[in-house]
Amino acid sequence: MADILDVITSRKSIRRFKPDPVSDEMIDKILEAARWAPTGENYQPWRFIVVKSQETRNKIGDLAKVGSGSRMTAWYCMGHMQERFAAIEDPEKRARVLRFMYSGEVSEFAKTAPVVIAVLGSLEVGSVDVPYDLSAAVENMLLEAHSLGLGGCWVHGPVASSRDAVKFKKILNIPTEMNAFKVIAYVAIGWALEKRKYPRPKLPLEELVFWEEFGKTTRPKKSLDELVYYEQYGEKEKD
Amino acid sequence: MDKMVYCNDVMARMEELFFHELSDCAGWKTEFIGVDFIQAKNIKGDNREDIIRNCIKAITAAGLAEEGSFAIAGKDILLRLKIKGCIHMGKEVRLKERGIKIYNCVIANMINDQLIEKLNYETAYIGAIDADEKEDLCEIKVAIYETMEKIGCVSDWSEECQRIDANDEWQTIRA
Repeated sequence: MADILDVITSRKSIRRFKPDPVSDEMIDKILEAARWAPTGENYQPWRFIVVKSQETRNKIGDLAKVGSGSRMTAWYCMGHMQERFAAIEDPEKRARVLRFMYSGEVSEFAKTAPVVIAVLGSLEVGSVDVPYDLSAAVENMLLEAHSLGLGGCWVHGPVASSRDAVKFKKILNIPTEMNAFKVIAYVAIGWALEKRKYPRPKLPLEELVFWEEFGKTTRPKKSLDELVYYEQYGEKEKD
Repeated sequence: MDKMVYCNDVMARMEELFFHELSDCAGWKTEFIGVDFIQAKNIKGDNREDIIRNCIKAITAAGLAEEGSFAIAGKDILLRLKIKGCIHMGKEVRLKERGIKIYNCVIANMINDQLIEKLNYETAYIGAIDADEKEDLCEIKVAIYETMEKIGCVSDWSEECQRIDANDEWQTIRA
């Protein structure tokens, strides 16, 4: 069996797509991967809406653009975005990247992805931790898409605010009552147009992992008593 | 126990838990908090100044705040609000005490709701909330977008705020 870590570490978010269609067989595999995600008490709250319609994808793309752009415009006006992208040394490139972000164009790509899959969860009585289950399903979808040679991106932007989430539900005829379904994201899928460098910088494990309790950064060493034998294997007593 | 203290304590706990679940996204999920009040007031107005003014009139008349001031700048994106004597100050103080950045202004939610509902604004986003307990005053910076084309119209809000103060561009409404 291939090491899944190779698939995981070579995946990257793709936001630019070729217009080539994605086959139904591939879409089915991606949905199948989602269906096998871990889920609390095997509740399986997830539901998926596969969207190919250009008109619908345009609406979703506009909503995502407004969602991200409205927040990032404000953040730019308050100086937060400039701080976030200060590491880009070339001022022209930095300005271009910032404009791409605060204009909302960064999130508009549902319009060009051949397939968009909305991920929503049932909030019926008995459901627990729905967003966590759905997040696991999204990750499975992205990994399966990547293993098939496709690109994909997890997009929260158009459903990030409560008001936008209602608009998103209306676009797809999802019941809008707050006790019915929660939409956490859509996944845009298609053939990658871009070749992004990877891996993108990741924090080293040393900065992420504690041992035995929070704050302990050193992996515990076994004591010599556990490692050393005397005169022959298994002999723990020193003469 | 004062009933408002009780209500603010309850709200603060709710917002603390909500922040714990969602971190900085929490404020994106609370924009409907308070809209029931303002939607019941039949706010009228043909332009944003009228809508904002009439919202603050309704809010102060109901005793939810003593006074509200506003100014619009930054290519018509920046709506700067100052709310004095807000009944929710206790909630904000509780959150600050617990080290949580204030993220839910009920008064701003009301005004945003009416700009969207009555004037068909595309969207609005609360960028910053600053509560000064000693002055009993909150200052809120909101990004308001009349149309989709307004997304990405940037300016320097610190400069805009200085100009508003220097020219005293504030409009103040009291009950």
